Amino acid sequence: MVATAVTSAFFPVTSSPDSSDSKNKKLGSIKSKPSVSSGSLQVKANAQAPPKINGTVAVTTSVEGSKNDDGASSPPPRTFINQLPDWSMLLAAITTIFLAAEKQWMMLDWKPRRPDMVIDPFGIGKIVQDGLVFSQNFSIRSYEIGADQTASIETLMNHLQETAINHCRSAGLLGEGFGATPEMCKKNLIWVVTRMQVVVDRYPTWGDVVQVDTWVSASGKNGMRRDWLVSNSETGEILTRATSVWVMMNKLTRRLSKIPEEVRGEIEPFFMNSDPVLAEDSQKLVKLDDSTAEHVCKGLTPKWSDLDVNQHVNNVKYIGWILESAPLPILESHELSAMTLEYRRECGRDSVLQSLTTVSDSNTENAVNVGEFNCQHLLRLEDGAEIVRGRTRWRPKHAESSANMDQITAERT
Amino acid sequence: MLKFPYCNVTDLNQALAQCRFVGLLGPLASRRQSPRAVVSCSPSSSEFSLTPVQAVMSCQQQVGSSLVNRLRLGGLTEDGFSYKEKFIIRGFEVGINKIATIETIANLLQEVGSNHAQSVGFSTDGFGTSPTMRKLHLIWVTARMHIEVYKYPAWRDVIEIETWCQNEGRIGTRRDWILNDVATGEVFGRATSKWVMMNQDTRRMQKVSDDVKEEYLIFCPREPRLAFSEKNNKSLKRIAKLEDPVRYSKLGLKPRRADLDMNQHVNNVTYIGWVLESIPKEIIDTHELQAITLDYRRECQQYNVVDSLTGLELTEGSKMVSVGTNGSATATATTREDDHDCHRFLHLLRLSSDGREINRGRTEWRKKPTR
Repeated sequence: MVATAVTSAFFPVTSSPDSSDSKNKKLGSIKSKPSVSSGSLQVKANAQAPPKINGTVAVTTSVEGSKNDDGASSPPPRTFINQLPDWSMLLAAITTIFLAAEKQWMMLDWKPRRPDMVIDPFGIGKIVQDGLVFSQNFSIRSYEIGADQTASIETLMNHLQETAINHCRSAGLLGEGFGATPEMCKKNLIWVVTRMQVVVDRYPTWGDVVQVDTWVSASGKNGMRRDWLVSNSETGEILTRATSVWVMMNKLTRRLSKIPEEVRGEIEPFFMNSDPVLAEDSQKLVKLDDSTAEHVCKGLTPKWSDLDVNQHVNNVKYIGWILESAPLPILESHELSAMTLEYRRECGRDSVLQSLTTVSDSNTENAVNVGEFNCQHLLRLEDGAEIVRGRTRWRPKHAESSANMDQITAERT
Repeated sequence: MLKFPYCNVTDLNQALAQCRFVGLLGPLASRRQSPRAVVSCSPSSSEFSLTPVQAVMSCQQQVGSSLVNRLRLGGLTEDGFSYKEKFIIRGFEVGINKIATIETIANLLQEVGSNHAQSVGFSTDGFGTSPTMRKLHLIWVTARMHIEVYKYPAWRDVIEIETWCQNEGRIGTRRDWILNDVATGEVFGRATSKWVMMNQDTRRMQKVSDDVKEEYLIFCPREPRLAFSEKNNKSLKRIAKLEDPVRYSKLGLKPRRADLDMNQHVNNVTYIGWVLESIPKEIIDTHELQAITLDYRRECQQYNVVDSLTGLELTEGSKMVSVGTNGSATATATTREDDHDCHRFLHLLRLSSDGREINRGRTEWRKKPTR
């Protein structure tokens, strides 16, 4: 189970040279990310010219341009640079040397010296400026690309999980292990995820760099909500949004628990007061059974690599199993565009699971575009105990998927 | 004719890292200098020339590559004959023992090989073949993979992997890796792999022709350089075929969609997971993998079902076998089949349907160190 952390109190954005980046800081309604991503990613413009000028003048200009278009006052050095494009090559050379020197320095001592360390070479991430948001970059590696030529949903979910843990750590709210604050550890309490909602607008591909921002808020009186926003670090395009609900559980009795005062004191200062990044999918998730399920996969067992440090099946692995029982024609011609999961029960190495799926291509409550499919899912143990209930939405990968649609429709009849 | 499995494309990139298209593309001529000028860090100077190459070669990332390169903590070494990159171990890459899994390490080896290819301006359009190879429909396939880990890195450890390629006889090439822990400077692992050239259409092995060899030899160290240089090291050991009676097995393994690489083939690293599936819990709980050798015999398709079989590797007589590598345990081979400190297994992955061999392997396990 992933510990979630909290961030410092949310202060209204103050104007500063860099705050043109953070003008859209109310994260529930972030519109243009380029400024934030470039700000937190690149060397902050204090000491040197933005290295993004380096070699990719076109990109730099567009990012700079979008910042200016936001109407915020640009930091003088950047404007100055923009007005003298002839200097860009010289600047690039200087920046190259500076970056090389900095990298040498980083190799000697990679631990960030300052909390707002400008370059985050190992992608450890950091609390962004003085906000409550934790931000981390990930390069999409070659082995994270799946059969669809894009990063898999498991890769994205791993990144979300990683930022959640690192958020906890950097906020000083990680007790032993991955799951709890120091006060929670004392009381044998852990966070348990009950609900996860993800919407993918675009999957990153090999070589893309994504920026994952995450923050926490209260969810009701005794729950916590963790939100994520994933964007393309270079272009600022929003790729994925996700929100999750967590409750507190006693790890010995396995019973749900209220948040004790001591824990509340630890985490509440870090709660952000913002709208959820995704509108809650309030539609009730249907429980499938043998008669309503169209596809059933049986005999699914966890591999060693599916287990987390507690020898429980990692949350992300459930998604893999759910997808395994989706019909192959859909997997091949469509991509997962949205997913809602309810976690009911955990399972371990010796569990044997079944994955049930039903496809529906029209849904009156959720407007579905042409070519899209909705699926209902259930992961359960052989004795019927429910592990995860879910719903997924699939959109065509390419425009020319109408042929596949016929195939899918035909297959279902 | 021996058939070899078609491997995952990024593996090809590793082997093809060395390929240079001397004189084939104008802009590249200038770039031949740049890798040597880059001192293992800043990729920025190579960006200028990388972009035109990629624009010509593939539809891969163009502008985006610059950001990736800036974030990448790796580059060619000064002499240009090897490539080094740093990684931090992430939370989802550790396993039940809170240390990096062997799959994580294998993935990183693959990644760094692929990045080596990219750093020398080699396009990663999915096949990573040199122009000559592409003309002749040739690809590299993995024949053998051998990894030794002396001390597994933990979450948030920073590691550095160095990799290089060289010739291997007339039909193959090899890629070697050295893994070290940045904090301590110690070598915590080594790996080597052997590749052969195969015709993509006929699926038959082919000798490495001189023109292809020339293309990549420029990138190889001038003197032979081996990650495993000691005599009779384990990476050369022949793996016997596992015979009945088989001690442990896990039957009916199917490739998941997540096991497929970008070319719809079962990822090489997936085979490692399958081999481990038939290791019993008692070993997994008390021991850690010290060495793994895999011979790739036949490719596995998406629709295949695989059986994973494991048996003890019997030792002969009471020979003492000591492994002269840094940090690794001394294997005590006696007439006893079981040794509480070190276990050695033989593995077989075969098709459930007809029993044809996909991989054969060998693993060594040592008792987990107290941490």
